[in-house]
Amino acid sequence: MKPDARLDAMLADREVIVCVGCGGSGKTTVAAALALEAARRGRQALVLTIDPARRLADAMGVESLGNRPQTIPRATLDALGVTPSGSLSAMMLDMKRTFDDLVERFAESEEIRDRVLGNSIYQHVSNALAGSVEYSAMEKVFEMHESGAFDLIVVDTPPAQHALDFLEAPQRLLEFLDSRLVKMLIHPAFKAGRFGFRLFHRATQRVLQVLERITGIGFLEDLSEFLIAFDAMSVGFRDRALRVRSLLLGPRSTFVLVSGPGRISARNASDFLDRLETYGVSLAGVLVNRVRLWPSQGAPPADEPPRSVDLERLRDALRASEGADYPAELAADAAAKAATRYAGWVRADARSAQPLRERIEAQGRFWGCIPEFERDVHDLSGLGCVADRIAGRDEEP
Amino acid sequence: MAADAPRSLLEHRLVIVTGKGGTGKTTVSATLALAASRAGLRVLVAEMGPDEQIPRLLDPRAPEVGYAGCAILPGLQAMRIDPFEALAEYLGLQLGVRAVVDAVVRNNAFRQLMTAAPGWRELITLGKIWHLAQLDSEDPPGRQFDLIVVDAPATGHGVAFLDVPRVVVSAVRAGPLHAHTERVERMLEDPDQTLVLPVALAEELPAREIAELTDRVRNEMGISIDRVIVNAVVGPPFPAAIPDLDAALARLDGDLPLGMLPSPRVLTRCARYLRSRHELNRRFAADIQHTTGLPIVELPRLPDGVESLEQISALAGALLADPVFLE
Repeated sequence: MKPDARLDAMLADREVIVCVGCGGSGKTTVAAALALEAARRGRQALVLTIDPARRLADAMGVESLGNRPQTIPRATLDALGVTPSGSLSAMMLDMKRTFDDLVERFAESEEIRDRVLGNSIYQHVSNALAGSVEYSAMEKVFEMHESGAFDLIVVDTPPAQHALDFLEAPQRLLEFLDSRLVKMLIHPAFKAGRFGFRLFHRATQRVLQVLERITGIGFLEDLSEFLIAFDAMSVGFRDRALRVRSLLLGPRSTFVLVSGPGRISARNASDFLDRLETYGVSLAGVLVNRVRLWPSQGAPPADEPPRSVDLERLRDALRASEGADYPAELAADAAAKAATRYAGWVRADARSAQPLRERIEAQGRFWGCIPEFERDVHDLSGLGCVADRIAGRDEEP
Repeated sequence: MAADAPRSLLEHRLVIVTGKGGTGKTTVSATLALAASRAGLRVLVAEMGPDEQIPRLLDPRAPEVGYAGCAILPGLQAMRIDPFEALAEYLGLQLGVRAVVDAVVRNNAFRQLMTAAPGWRELITLGKIWHLAQLDSEDPPGRQFDLIVVDAPATGHGVAFLDVPRVVVSAVRAGPLHAHTERVERMLEDPDQTLVLPVALAEELPAREIAELTDRVRNEMGISIDRVIVNAVVGPPFPAAIPDLDAALARLDGDLPLGMLPSPRVLTRCARYLRSRHELNRRFAADIQHTTGLPIVELPRLPDGVESLEQISALAGALLADPVFLE
């Protein structure tokens, strides 16, 4: 991978880099490597990870952080080539805590705070169910950005079924609070014991009747109580959600799409790209992770059976080498087969990424490949290697 | 069969295939469905994600099968469970009056509420699966499906969606929803009916995650889990007589011209890569077996990835030949 001016500019200028992509694509590793590379270039970088490999977390010192950034020690950074002016911190999102913090911040009184935190629906919503991880992650990015302690935040987004759940989460929450049904549920009449559905618009009446019939009355009352308490905080919440959105979609932020190798990954990445475009998100480029690359200049050789004259040459060389206590003929065949097998993977990876690559390059965005390493990346020196490749150093695999 | 022996995979009514993104969970779901249909079962394979992948894997010309579902191969139906369609169907069954249901489902305020509301998608999807598992067929008599294979979503929540019924049963204390959800929960927790089949790669992070997932499913959720599929295992790279081929190649002059063959330097790299992936897979396959305490079924990494019926057939053959698969 050659150094790329667009990637350099991104690492120099942006304040937030959001790594998006499907689960299993290695977003966490790429996000951490980007933060390390930015730190090497003198920035105060923070990587916010959602779901890191435990050993990667250990290596970065984010094991038991309690939702606060942890700075990588200076000596470690020196060994990784981080300039004295740069720094690297890491943190792991604690979703429940982030959500509780928000409630604490925006609750107008202790009573409201306790009502929300104690409500059984809140506990389920904030703890287990879809959407809240995404919301908390974006909230945390905003909080860290506001804190001013870092000049670059690299975010590893949660693996989501729908590509951009995390961008949509604040909006969904707002629409939810604004929806007519919710307004009905938080209507004082609803809490006044046996509520008359008659007060409401006919269509809403019908929906409420259906909901009541299916869920039973107790559930709607719990829901109503939760929403009333939540609504009391909604001004702060609403304002915050809008600011999160404008930070992420504004000029200070950019997105990097991380994809795995293989046709299915490429197809998923391509769908992702469609969604990003409809959002008007600023995409800096694509990094394809764990790609099999041919270990010398140029493309792998064509898929043809090896010529016997070449095999003989290899066999002779093997036979003549030191300590050759194996059948040289078998060895030469096996070596040629290994090369053919590996070349097949290299070609398959290149082929499956080709349509996406053409699309990205036609848009003038950067395209980078990170090779699959012989070992899993699970420590800072492994991250250093990934960062080298992203930055276009160390061409030899 | 001894009382404590695990049931055959094919004797369950519902197999929920789970795994992180990139583990090949969808491929395994398709493979399992194909293997079961070849074993003579009436099989339904259901996807939960927003995109349909399995029909195209089994037949590149397959149409979109959608919520209604469609037979892809003899004895093998595929469908995609769309939560809004499942909800409309459920409300229809509950209320009986189609016009009311349509008015509710089309109601803007209702859609807004449902778009934001968490949990119900998982719940209604599991409810639909429960319903499918109850369907009878007249000809031939019996259940409409002997086996339902569910390709579970590859979210960071892992198997959290299987927990939704339990959450709902505790949050909604009475009424039809409570009763229906309890039925779904009972099916999931019945080891004779339901099995969670995790798919992992034999690599460090997936191995660790599978241990956590197994633990959680067994101890917190009480859902049956009795074997692990380890996917894309790289086989032995060299003939047994030359286990150190990469080292032998490395002793040659790296730039020795070999005609059309790559140089010894490049050959060494290729050989070393194959060997290191193989050894890494072996190490973590053993690790998965050790940490989960479960038997594992290995599927080989195919040279060109898995993208066609031929390749799925090859994997299905490997599955059917594995004693742990059928035991």
